[in-house]
Amino acid sequence: MQEATFLILTALADGSQHGYGIITEVREISGGRVRLRAGTLYTALDRLRTDELIGVDREEIVEGRLRRYYRLTPAGTKRLAAEAARLHANATAALVRLNLAGGMAT
Amino acid sequence: MTEQAGLERGYRRLLACYPKAYRRDNGDEILGVLMATAREGQRRVGLAESADLVRGALRMRLRPPSPPPRSVFTAVRLMCAGAAVELAAWITIVVTAGSVKSAMAPRGPAQWHAVLVHLVAVEVFGPIAIVVWLWMAWANGRGHEWARLLFMSFFALTTAGLLGWLGQGAAVYAPADLIAVAVLWLVQLAVMVLIFSKKSAPHYGHELAQK
Repeated sequence: MQEATFLILTALADGSQHGYGIITEVREISGGRVRLRAGTLYTALDRLRTDELIGVDREEIVEGRLRRYYRLTPAGTKRLAAEAARLHANATAALVRLNLAGGMAT
Repeated sequence: MTEQAGLERGYRRLLACYPKAYRRDNGDEILGVLMATAREGQRRVGLAESADLVRGALRMRLRPPSPPPRSVFTAVRLMCAGAAVELAAWITIVVTAGSVKSAMAPRGPAQWHAVLVHLVAVEVFGPIAIVVWLWMAWANGRGHEWARLLFMSFFALTTAGLLGWLGQGAAVYAPADLIAVAVLWLVQLAVMVLIFSKKSAPHYGHELAQK
């Protein structure tokens, strides 16, 4: 799973978000490192909707414009949990090996 | 306000690169996000933003159509199989035409003439039917509602043809040909059940929902 996809799913983990909300959440989660642009975000959202990992929660009209809120589907939650566990296991293994090698990881 | 209007026009021009159906469904929403993420006092669309939108538009244009439900997927495969059976049936009819003609000759000129007309029609329309099968597979796979209705007409024509042929006593003089046509009819019946099933309905409604 690409990092942007992982971060988008993470942004939706604790509740539904609209497009702009996802962009700000992703920036915050990544500590300002990942700044999604609209084109990249909507390409990813389209793919995630096709894969049924996310769905549309509700739609609102704000200042005359459509605002769509996206949420994780049960399949999306499962996929995100599996990916988080995989990354966690990899990170733990890396830290253990660094410690064994007398590295600086603490 | 004029700065914003100019920026919005710039974004709209770039959004025009997206496929029409996608733009209709998401364009307004993306524009909202673009305007929300624009810098204070921004007048023009930045180079990186433009590249991102053009790349997004290209991906949308190059992406394969949304995968059909299993029922439609099976129907499309059956239609491809139908084209193969049609080809086999056509070859069978062409190869056995001589023996059918000689078998019919003693039965009198009227019946012989009717069978001859039928055989010539099958020989001519067989390749057309193969193309129709493949065309229907393509169009139904893409979820065109007209393709589903056209397939229904195709099925009605085959049913009428099969009944007409049975009426002529084809079971006696051309059993191999009749079996081939009956197999094709059964394949068409299976396709009809699949494409008109409830599970397939959203696939055909997809186009309408985007309008």
